[in-house]
Amino acid sequence: MNDLSLTVNGEKISSLVEPRTSLADLLREQMNLTGTHLGCEQGVCGACTILVDGVPVRSCISNATACGGAEVRTIEDFDRDPLMIELRQAFNAHHALQCGFCTPGMLIMARDIVMRLHGADEARIRIELAGNLCRCTGYAGIVKAIRSVIVSRQEALPPRPPASLPLGPAGSGHASAGNALVHVEKNGLATADAQDKPLQVKAAAAPAPLAGKRAPAVKQSFSVAAPQPVVWERFGDVPSMIRCIPGASLVSQEADGTYQIKMRVKMGPIGAEFAGVARQERNDDALTGIIHGSGRDARSASLAEGQLTYRLVDENNGESTRVDIEVSYQLSGALAQFARGGIVTHFIGAITTQFAENLSRSLSSAGTEEEVVEPGELRIAGSFAGALKAWLVDLLRSPFRK
Amino acid sequence: MKPSQFGYARPANVEEAVRLLQEADGSAKVMAGGQSLGPLLNLRLAQPSLIIDITAIRELTLVREEKDAIVYGACVTHASVEDRRVPDATNGFLPSVAAGIAYRAVRNRGTMGGSLAHADPAADWMTTLTALGAEILVAGSAGERRVALDQFMTAPFSVALEDSEFIIGIRIRRYSQAARFGYFKFCRKRGEFAEAMGAVVIDPELGIRRGIIGATDSRPILVPDMDACLRPSGEGIQAAKAMIAAMKIADDPVRDGMHANAFARALKQVAQ
Repeated sequence: MNDLSLTVNGEKISSLVEPRTSLADLLREQMNLTGTHLGCEQGVCGACTILVDGVPVRSCISNATACGGAEVRTIEDFDRDPLMIELRQAFNAHHALQCGFCTPGMLIMARDIVMRLHGADEARIRIELAGNLCRCTGYAGIVKAIRSVIVSRQEALPPRPPASLPLGPAGSGHASAGNALVHVEKNGLATADAQDKPLQVKAAAAPAPLAGKRAPAVKQSFSVAAPQPVVWERFGDVPSMIRCIPGASLVSQEADGTYQIKMRVKMGPIGAEFAGVARQERNDDALTGIIHGSGRDARSASLAEGQLTYRLVDENNGESTRVDIEVSYQLSGALAQFARGGIVTHFIGAITTQFAENLSRSLSSAGTEEEVVEPGELRIAGSFAGALKAWLVDLLRSPFRK
Repeated sequence: MKPSQFGYARPANVEEAVRLLQEADGSAKVMAGGQSLGPLLNLRLAQPSLIIDITAIRELTLVREEKDAIVYGACVTHASVEDRRVPDATNGFLPSVAAGIAYRAVRNRGTMGGSLAHADPAADWMTTLTALGAEILVAGSAGERRVALDQFMTAPFSVALEDSEFIIGIRIRRYSQAARFGYFKFCRKRGEFAEAMGAVVIDPELGIRRGIIGATDSRPILVPDMDACLRPSGEGIQAAKAMIAAMKIADDPVRDGMHANAFARALKQVAQ
């Protein structure tokens, strides 16, 4: 906890806050200023927009401590503001609200548009309002209301020169450095608490059957310098397969033939650790198999489910084996909310490439098994950069080949 | 939807920030405006042990003018660039790019340095500043170094920074009066993450002809044959479309078409 001082709606306040507290939570939970609404809490919907040092910011993704010493104004502070009075009347006259959830953010943005952009037309108003979502009005009334205030103000007032603003993030630069340091409370760290908690693994909702339910994310083929029976045997050995998947580790083998596994992934600042179950189905005649896996990341409450289908084909008169693999996946929860499809596919492609490399290596010396990867986290940047570079070089070399 | 707990530090200078990063040994995260990191923290996708707020380091909010370049402090916001509160090395290109980043309320806190460190493939600065040939000024335990931006991003959300390093500034060369710039992105909705983007920078006096395809699933891609793209009377645009479609960047006909068309539209803006 640290002592935070701010000016809120003209009043100097001091409050004890946790470092993770956002401006929105400080205002709503500690100061009872609930006019600031929380919609998405990821900076998309605009309902939480407030003024910090005179300019609109998203209070849900603005750290309160980082804004120490700043001047904050919420919707509650505009009762007697002449421009806001005009805007409220215009919102009323033009049916610019219905349920009212977006209205505090809309009004703060509207006021900023009127003050900052003299003579904004309807098209410009729509552009400037794009960051504030309204699910009732279809925006027509809101845009008209703002435009009507702009028109009436243009007649009444000459444009004002823009205020001189600092170059850094709004709200920053007031609180002193150094002595404002907050101690890192070792025992309160999130990483520790996530690790200490036993991972609750739901005895898996059985993974969906293969039949074309999801689009395959990644298809890859690679050759392994080992005869097909050796490779087939290796694929049947789930624990050693898991060792080849970067970031994956085996927790235990269950009596029913399933495996408890863990998989850590890391992409820049994004990290997740999935705990779940895997099982395998094989067809000895067709030399194909499916490995199903599903798991949950307790920290972000994300669910992942995926399957790897493989097929082995003889090559070079049985001296080597071609492996065709296809990976498909489904994500839900926070990670799915955040991740865009292409990036996830790309990421899975990177994991698959590394899996193929590890498998080839583990089978190379006549099938003798060696430790292939640290079952730690996958750092996509390092190993993947090489593959990416090769791909780029190839790409740049042959843009017209097709 | 609340971040997990973290410690918070607000160093007064670069050296102190580096020391904190070193001590944290990879578990800390540097924050400027926090407009990309904030959502990751709220979704608990990022769980750093320590947030190092660099906005109290005065030099990071300054702009330094050099003879043939301008160095923007890492904490200069998009809104500052949009409003032309900082000098511009590009005849108005930087302000026009800044004005299209997310939303005004985000631009008032979001920073150039933060956006580049976050390395979202769909970010405006990553693509346009790569097209401009910008350099990143990095501070770390081994002192300061400069990295060309096209070498900086390694994968989605991943950059070539050591654990003790962070971005302190962005250096952009001064372009000549004859320079022309083009930028186009496809977004489902204004301010949303782009699905395809193209940027073109031409400066006859400096001999620069550079085209970049952005909002890929990973790094920005340099357009290989800009001479072909700049052939006169519409021929270049057709060549560019064919070239980029054939690159199969997303390996999906719709998205590959979007990449080709986004770049073609950027190219049209510089056509004479």
